[in-house]
Amino acid sequence: MGLFDKLVGWLGLKKEVNVLCLGLDNSGKTTIINKLKPSNAQVQDIVPTIGFSIEKFKTSSLSFTVFDMSGQGRYRNLWEHYYKEGQAIIFVIDSADKLRMVVAKEELDTLLSHPDIKHRRIPILFFANKMDVRDALSSVKVSQLLCLENIRDKPWHICTTDALKGEGLQEGVDWLQDQIKTMRT
Amino acid sequence: MSTAESSGDGGRWLDAHYDPVAGLYTFSSCVDLADLNGDGESRLVVGDLGTGSSGMKLKVYRGTALMSESVLLDLPAGLVAFFMDVHEPRIPAVAVASGPCIYVYKNLRPYFKFTLPSLVINTLEQEVWQQVGEGQIDPITLKEMLESIRRKDDIPLSVRSLKFLSLDVSDMDEFVQLHRQQPIRRQTVITCIGTLKKSTADEDGVSCLVIGTENSKIFVLDPEAFTILSKMSLPAVPTMMDVTGQFDVEFRITVACRNGNIYILRRESDTPRYCIELSSHPAGLVRVGKNVVVGCTNESLQGFTQKGKKLWKIILPAPITTMAAMDLPTRGFQGVLVGLANCEVHLYRDKNLLSIIKTPDTVTSICFGRYGREDGTLIMTTKGGGLIVKILKRTAVFDDRDSAPGPPLAQSIRLNVPKKTKLYVDQTLRERENGLTMHRTFQMDLSRTRLAAARAYVKALESSLTPVSSSLSEPLKMNAVVQGLGPSFKLTLNIQNTAACQSVMNLAISFLYDEKLYRVRNPYMRIPLLVPGLIYPVEAFVECTSDKGISDIIKVFVLHEGKSSPLLTAHINMPVCEGSALN
Repeated sequence: MGLFDKLVGWLGLKKEVNVLCLGLDNSGKTTIINKLKPSNAQVQDIVPTIGFSIEKFKTSSLSFTVFDMSGQGRYRNLWEHYYKEGQAIIFVIDSADKLRMVVAKEELDTLLSHPDIKHRRIPILFFANKMDVRDALSSVKVSQLLCLENIRDKPWHICTTDALKGEGLQEGVDWLQDQIKTMRT
Repeated sequence: MSTAESSGDGGRWLDAHYDPVAGLYTFSSCVDLADLNGDGESRLVVGDLGTGSSGMKLKVYRGTALMSESVLLDLPAGLVAFFMDVHEPRIPAVAVASGPCIYVYKNLRPYFKFTLPSLVINTLEQEVWQQVGEGQIDPITLKEMLESIRRKDDIPLSVRSLKFLSLDVSDMDEFVQLHRQQPIRRQTVITCIGTLKKSTADEDGVSCLVIGTENSKIFVLDPEAFTILSKMSLPAVPTMMDVTGQFDVEFRITVACRNGNIYILRRESDTPRYCIELSSHPAGLVRVGKNVVVGCTNESLQGFTQKGKKLWKIILPAPITTMAAMDLPTRGFQGVLVGLANCEVHLYRDKNLLSIIKTPDTVTSICFGRYGREDGTLIMTTKGGGLIVKILKRTAVFDDRDSAPGPPLAQSIRLNVPKKTKLYVDQTLRERENGLTMHRTFQMDLSRTRLAAARAYVKALESSLTPVSSSLSEPLKMNAVVQGLGPSFKLTLNIQNTAACQSVMNLAISFLYDEKLYRVRNPYMRIPLLVPGLIYPVEAFVECTSDKGISDIIKVFVLHEGKSSPLLTAHINMPVCEGSALN
């Protein structure tokens, strides 16, 4: 087994990737990451994150280390301390919270204009979460409200998800994995 | 959802939501934010005034959508959300004050109705109505008795008696028949409502309701039993109030009253401790820290200490429509939001203007606090019923610069001093050389002019050519107006007696004109008695008889009957008759 791991390491297949999981409070960041973990490692009760927590999950060829940041207003200034380490960003949006879409856009704009992010070509995956809520916005509408079409120098992708059931997550993570692999080669 | 920079507030606010047709007609006193479901998400509770006579509703907003709506029985005077018990989960109750009652809603359902205790009834009035009930008094005597009670006694009459007195004699019988069996009552109505923490200063501590009533009283109510804990009296009717502190420890109630004064009540005494007399009526009252900020109707904002000492005053660009406190404890920021009639909302910290928010319509209510999951949310409703939600940016900073630094703007305006050309310089040279001759010649000419003027004046006086009379006994003034295009003209003579208190009589008007050219219907008229001060228009119709387009002068004389010399004369240049050209 150890030999195999090493082999994989040499071949650059199962590489470690640092991912930042960002988004406003109550958007479902911890729930999404919890759902991506193997079923035996998932926790039942999810409480609001204090500061941040580090989680790990694996896909077919990559091993992700996720910085699950707290989205509460008073902890949002912690985000920028981890921008340097991030090789990919997952940005989670509560598609049922129309009122705070402007706040999400504002945070996204400050993130994209930060010197540690601005000139790096890192993939950004958007999860338009809570699609199960009755009056949730569609992913098209969310990308319109966040003006995602203005992001030109970074690969990005938006998918609607229901983090409680785990719907839509796999599609997003597959895209992220492809992006990271193409960036390495 | 346009960008915040365009709204002219320095990009500190995010435009979260704007609904111009929300149909919310309310004031700041009827708006509150509360976590009604206990799920950490605050809702907006609005007491909607509707049209003022119908359509009063209690509306609850969640996010951008209206969540629930229930009909209110009467016009809401105030609305507050407060914790009335210590049960878990911590769900606040909503108290709506309307008329003499407070309707308490829990979980958005009617839960309790508190009615103010009725007032003392005049014993005489009660006896009178009792006798009416027994059929001993007819309506006419009842009216006389009630009127004598109203004049003599200090206890005012009940609403029913006052209504009876205002009726016509024909309607009185019916009114008495309808009401005579019921006992009379006298009630007051609530004008303003506030909350006061009972014993702890915690955010979710139990609060007492504080209400101000139309009969100049302040009541503090027990949160659970709705009994009156404390009763205070004021010299005037309260309209706005602000309450701080805890009921069991120490509290201060700052009340703005209808007589334009602000009274400050404290725990120990049941009458005001301090009084602030304002120069004009208060339009808004907000407490910031230990100071009271009052917006007045004379477009000024004034700051006072809690003992009533004036700290500062600033003049605003427009009348105040509403005021609210902006309190952000996480950032230690406290300010005052002032809604102005010129579609702006100004944010002041002390007397410094920090930010101007431009709104599409005049704002009638402002509420700042936690809405949804966002702490710094500003909710405004407009005159047209619109709802505006703005969110303060996390990175926004308010720098405390003085609003007007440096010298006043008026100093830098350049004066319009005319330039001098060579002509002027040559002229001054000539003056310097020939000064003496110039002076002499000018003096000579001046004396001649005086002589000529005096001669002409004497001549005018002798023949009474002036339109203003010079005689002291009959001071008169006249002017003439010609109207029309011709051939017929209307000649109006405005004659005024300019004496202080002496009327003039026996005057007549006579016209002198060329009889070949003009015809006047009555060239000699008598003028009525002239009362001092009034202008008497005397009209005469002049007809032009010549068709050659010639105009001439008509002379008008005002004469005293029995005297041949005229008092006044007016020469009227008649215009060219245009009517003849048409024929």
